[in-house]
Amino acid sequence: MSVSRSRAPFEAFFLSAGGGERFCVFYPASGAPLGSVLYLHPFAEEMNKSRRMAALQAREFAARGYNVLQIDLFGCGDSSGDFGDARWDVWNDDVALAADWLARHAEGPMHLWGLRLGALLALEHSRQASQSLAGLLLWQPVASGAQFLTQFLRLRLTSEMLSGAAAGKGTGALRAQLAAGRPLEIAGYELAPELAFAIERLDLASLAPQNVPARWFEVNAEGKPTPVLRRAAQAWSAAGVEVDLQAVRGEPFWSSVESSECPELVAATSDALALTPA
Amino acid sequence: MIDEVRTVVDSALQLRGRLGVCDASTPLLGAIPELDSMAVVSLITALEERFGFAVADDEIEAATFATLGSLTGFVRHKLDA
Repeated sequence: MSVSRSRAPFEAFFLSAGGGERFCVFYPASGAPLGSVLYLHPFAEEMNKSRRMAALQAREFAARGYNVLQIDLFGCGDSSGDFGDARWDVWNDDVALAADWLARHAEGPMHLWGLRLGALLALEHSRQASQSLAGLLLWQPVASGAQFLTQFLRLRLTSEMLSGAAAGKGTGALRAQLAAGRPLEIAGYELAPELAFAIERLDLASLAPQNVPARWFEVNAEGKPTPVLRRAAQAWSAAGVEVDLQAVRGEPFWSSVESSECPELVAATSDALALTPA
Repeated sequence: MIDEVRTVVDSALQLRGRLGVCDASTPLLGAIPELDSMAVVSLITALEERFGFAVADDEIEAATFATLGSLTGFVRHKLDA
């Protein structure tokens, strides 16, 4: 399966929302639209690292007849607001706003596509969405919000280590600072306690979608699902969720040192979308 | 063991074999430009997943990442613990 390299035209615009505007990019479907896809980006630096893959996939969806909308959440990318003022609830509202816009401007069944923490936003939205959703496309969903937060807090420890600073605080002390209501500066991002603890509470197992099929994609060197994600998918399946877990060979482009592509993931995701009943 | 650690380093930092022929004395921190704070976190996560142990905060220190040998020693220590 080859991925077409066509450069679909796109439109960039701002949506009015609480606290200012949200930057959006719309990729119109080529030909008669088969449906639409809303993309939800990952957290902090992972968003920047994955821009290229998000654009490649959006163009491929558009080339295959789907209207695609990408939104920069509050405090992220080119949208209004500072990262330090971002809150999980505000991001949830942004997802609803974008889904509403897409429902009004694009025909056909709507799919949500999320990467990493964006996949958890997609899951949360699917459980409370006002529109009916045709499916979820989840790229490497974060399995545990608490573990994800620890990894983000570790960035502060490793940058202190690399700068030769005296042994800094551990992630426990950083969590205590958040618990005392004080934000943290991590890798150039101001992390508010409210956002940190909302993320910490997230758990993939308890976010199983309701009445929406989920297609789940994992990227790793072996091209085989890792036990932790396979168990999570099995748990959903046992709970009656229609879930399909697929692993493709590739590099973790959302955290990679150099910007990298994973064409296998684009091809597999596009094929999965085409198989979803309209 | 050192080969397994080398494979994890190569894949986590996407060196695509750039470490080449290496041994315990091959320097990591300071010698590989890709090894920034985000890369160190990725490397720790990759080691945790590959070997199934958890790294504590106070174990994150520069000496561990000095050479391939010191990192392998750390992994061995974690597995014996």
